Amino acid sequence: METQVHELVGAVHDAAWQPWAVQYFFLIAMSVTALLMALPAFVFGKSTDLRAARLALMVAVTTGITAPIALLADLHQPFRFWEFFVYTHKSSWMAWGAWIVPSYVALMLLFAWAIHRPEFHRMGQDEWRFAWLFRLFSLGGAANGFARPLGVLAGIAALGILVYTGSEVMVVRARPLWNTPFLPLQFAATGVVGALGVMLILERMLCRDGALEATLNRRLALALALVATLGGTWFAVAISGLSPVHTEALASVAGFPVWQQIALWGAASVAIPFVLALTLPRNTGVLTGLIAIHAAWMFRWTVFMGGQAVPKVGSGLYDALMPTGLAGLMGVIGTFGLWVFLMIVYTTFVPWTDATPPAHTSDQAPRKSASPQEI
Amino acid sequence: MDTTRRGFLGAIGQVTIGAAASVAGAGQSASAEGTNVPHWGMVVDLRKCIGCQACTVACIMENAVPEDAFRTHVSVYELVKDGQDPAMVMLPRLCNHCDDPPCLPVCPVEATFKAENGEVLVDASKCVGCAYCVQACPYDARFINHETQVADKCTFCFHRTQAGLLPACVETCVGGARNFGDLNDPESEVSKMLRHNEVSVLRPEMHTNPNVYYIGLDDVLDGRVAGEAAYHPEMAASVQHHGEGL
Ligand code: SF4
Ligand code: SF4
Repeated sequence: METQVHELVGAVHDAAWQPWAVQYFFLIAMSVTALLMALPAFVFGKSTDLRAARLALMVAVTTGITAPIALLADLHQPFRFWEFFVYTHKSSWMAWGAWIVPSYVALMLLFAWAIHRPEFHRMGQDEWRFAWLFRLFSLGGAANGFARPLGVLAGIAALGILVYTGSEVMVVRARPLWNTPFLPLQFAATGVVGALGVMLILERMLCRDGALEATLNRRLALALALVATLGGTWFAVAISGLSPVHTEALASVAGFPVWQQIALWGAASVAIPFVLALTLPRNTGVLTGLIAIHAAWMFRWTVFMGGQAVPKVGSGLYDALMPTGLAGLMGVIGTFGLWVFLMIVYTTFVPWTDATPPAHTSDQAPRKSASPQEI
Repeated sequence: MDTTRRGFLGAIGQVTIGAAASVAGAGQSASAEGTNVPHWGMVVDLRKCIGCQACTVACIMENAVPEDAFRTHVSVYELVKDGQDPAMVMLPRLCNHCDDPPCLPVCPVEATFKAENGEVLVDASKCVGCAYCVQACPYDARFINHETQVADKCTFCFHRTQAGLLPACVETCVGGARNFGDLNDPESEVSKMLRHNEVSVLRPEMHTNPNVYYIGLDDVLDGRVAGEAAYHPEMAASVQHHGEGL
């Protein structure tokens, strides 16, 4: 029996998770994936990767500080955040996240500090205006053998972040677009894409080394291929009916022209930088980097704001997909502003070009700074 | 007019008034026998709902619901079946006070809880306003109250049932469509209605075990209603009107 339905009276539900949440998931994913990319050089001594690892650590630190601020801003009662630690509800992924996020940020910052400690110490010994500050920073010593275990612990916490952020969203059955097992993997893969995008931009601004640009572009192509594979498989299992939750996710948005445009746009933002990065790995870093950052950000915007635009019981779509009002945009602009500020502080005060793997315990004397070729 | 209305309620609204008796009576019998605490539920007889929104307004007045949200409202649809004449169909919506509420396990600070009589409530002094529960509820029954900045929803008028009164929406229901009472008491009106009628719940596939039942619910309306949406006026930051497509 054919039934036509017209909604005459229906309530509208505005998005309860604001653009701040998009910013949080975007920044934290870039931070943890960047940290994981920094570990091979700094913890496992893969020296050929050192220059990329320095950029990765810069991304991990700056986004890792900004992300929790965006998260706090998305709480409607931010001054009650302490309750997360007093009333931890074990069945809630968010409750676990409240413990994992500060652990990650603390370990990541300690690790970054330990990596730079010998240089902080050296700069504290020189005769110059801010020497006292660096003596403070270095806590009066140069030893950093403990950076390795710290890096391993930060890496474990980073994996914890990937698991909790993915699961927190994936378990929400009420939102079909979120309730898919692919989502945590897609968050991780697009996180790598975003982090590599930022590293490419930083490389162009700070290093301008064609070989490093090519390396990063090749890695970006690999990450984009992974994103495309995940996206393609998502679509295949949804359309074939192999996985009912994916089929439902697709069905929840498939009929709307705006979603068809989003799908095309998404595919283009993966395909274009992929082809560019693969065919022209040199001199395209700014373009591939910018598109990669855009792709990672847009994936989250689409998932979070687009997901909330799908009514659970009502008809049609709500307006959440398009940014409305200054308040939402302020979240995006504010967090990006803070991030840029931290980037400036980092490149100004942190001797990042001299960051090297920690010395072995038997060899803890302050190292000489790296030669320019190493940078 | 008042008298007429009362007479009208007296004649066809016995269920409602009967339910009022069961609210007070159930508490007493529970404590007297010491066996069974009431488990509140609602049975909405859609055949009697005229879509007047009196319940919507009563709830707003009773619970100081802010202007951009609803704890309950009545969705109205036009159904055209097989080219027949269009039919207007009403669907009062509210929190189902689910027995397996997905909004509860996600709350990171245990602010959402199930009360003794089955109501799913929010401890407003504990809620951090993370809105995870808003996402998890499959019925869009929750919202963040922009005046209190905490999660908000229907409480089955907890403050009224504690005093032996009916929820405001039930008390006000003009057509006698909303019926409230103790589902644990086989003699309550709602239990009898469940026994004597074919009833359904919204989104049964979510396995939430709702405590709000519907008589006469069309299958096409029990989930996400596919169809043309109502005109939704802009939900501006400074809301002047309810965002209802009235
Ligand atoms: S209807 Fe929604 S808010 Fe109410 S108990 Fe069920 S899941 Fe929770
Ligand atoms: S908004 Fe409040 S009640 Fe809802 S999950 Fe968060 S803390 Fe719990």
